Amino acid sequence: MSKNILLAAILLVMSAVFATAQSAGMLKKKVPRGEYGNVIINNFSEKKNIAPVVFNHWLHRAKYTCRLCHIDIGFAMQAGGTKMTEADNNKGLYCGACHNGKEAFAAEEKKLAGLVVRPECDRCHSYGKKVDFHIDFSQFTEDFPKSRFGNGVDWISAEKQGFVKVKDYLEGFSIKGKSLSYAGETELKAQAEGMPDIIFSHKKHAVWNGCELCHPDVFGVKKGATKYSMQEIFEGKYCGVCHGKVAFPSLDCKLCHSKEVM
Amino acid sequence: MTADFILRSALLGLLVSTQALAQWQLPPLPEPELYGNILINRTSTKNGVLPATFSHWSHRSKYTCRVCHLELEFNMALNSTPITENKNKKGQYCGACHNDKIAFGHNSKHCGKCHNGNIRYGIENADKLADFPETPFGNRIDWVKAMNTGLIKPANYLNEQYEAVTFKKNLILESEWSMTPDAIFPHDVHESWLDCSNCHPEIFNIKKKTTKHFAMSYILDNKFCGVCHGKVAFPIDDCKRCHPKKK
Repeated sequence: MSKNILLAAILLVMSAVFATAQSAGMLKKKVPRGEYGNVIINNFSEKKNIAPVVFNHWLHRAKYTCRLCHIDIGFAMQAGGTKMTEADNNKGLYCGACHNGKEAFAAEEKKLAGLVVRPECDRCHSYGKKVDFHIDFSQFTEDFPKSRFGNGVDWISAEKQGFVKVKDYLEGFSIKGKSLSYAGETELKAQAEGMPDIIFSHKKHAVWNGCELCHPDVFGVKKGATKYSMQEIFEGKYCGVCHGKVAFPSLDCKLCHSKEVM
Repeated sequence: MTADFILRSALLGLLVSTQALAQWQLPPLPEPELYGNILINRTSTKNGVLPATFSHWSHRSKYTCRVCHLELEFNMALNSTPITENKNKKGQYCGACHNDKIAFGHNSKHCGKCHNGNIRYGIENADKLADFPETPFGNRIDWVKAMNTGLIKPANYLNEQYEAVTFKKNLILESEWSMTPDAIFPHDVHESWLDCSNCHPEIFNIKKKTTKHFAMSYILDNKFCGVCHGKVAFPIDDCKRCHPKKK
């Protein structure tokens, strides 16, 4: 190996250490409430010279359960993981399952002053554009019960109190039948001494997720078999698959660590 | 391995160590009454008004850090919060209190109280703090003691009714250098001013025994403890407060 390569390798390692150090120990920029849970989808858009899609979870979750899109329609949980194409959507898959002009607006062609236009494209392919979304986050969520982080909305209470009605069935995608009711609450022991234990409510989660969004992939079903740390949750694993991305972020300790310390 | 390579490595090592030495120079401290004072000028000058002066000490005697830096959504870095005149008038940011009810309003009568471009503005008010418990650095006020003895009773919430998780654990942070005694970290003192989320997980992840990633040089660079200590909370000149066994 030439000495230059060795030197380059040393410099590379040093710069990597420096780069990690630069972002560590500092606060990230706060995500505005109306942008929490937004996902930029750009598998093919820019390659086809179209603006990437900015998908807002807040509006979709106000109308549908998580399960409906992530299980029945088959969207991956990772941003950009689904790789749906325009053809898929036109066939009525993925976004096209609802955005077909019946369930929700479609990207149809219209004739305007003799020109063929597709006026709705921008409502999804909006990245970097000034677009009239028809619905404003602040107005839409104004009366909803509040929470401290994320969208600033207490979605659980919003659903319970009827501010939002979330649809859990879509013809052609969902299977009819009664869902399994498992209303148990599980207590999870906190690892750090003095930290209140966690009370996990299956009931609250099942409203949005059914069983299958978490089990068995994210969490096994044998009690105590899946071991995870808060650190891993912050890294986007386990509870962090949703909490910190779309569901309330794990900054509000007490929402989970809710058992009184004896 | 050639002599040339050894020479290059040595030079590189020297460069890194001189940089490290340079970092060890503690930044000069302002007068105690000006410690934590800032001039906010994100858009002021552009909009033809003078930058807004802000004194942390006058605010922290009435409100905990968390009221502004969590509830009112002020960022920790200067000029990074999207404060606008309009938002203030709608009751956001400064306007949450500066509304003529809690504190003087954001209106034409009072412009000059903030938009004066003078970081020394109101310095004479610091006389009120003359009898406060002392420390050698920063504002030269032991704010923790002032709170614990009831000299100040900063409100912990403005509109929110919330009772945060309490976690009282005192941490002992093992020192990297054998010459330096371990540092202590009391959760409860920090909790009386801050929300868990002000520090976790972005500034400090919660992994145990990871002092390596927040060596003093980073703190001097305003990272980790240095996000607050050195700007508003007591500066790190005050070695003993964290390394109590230091002689």
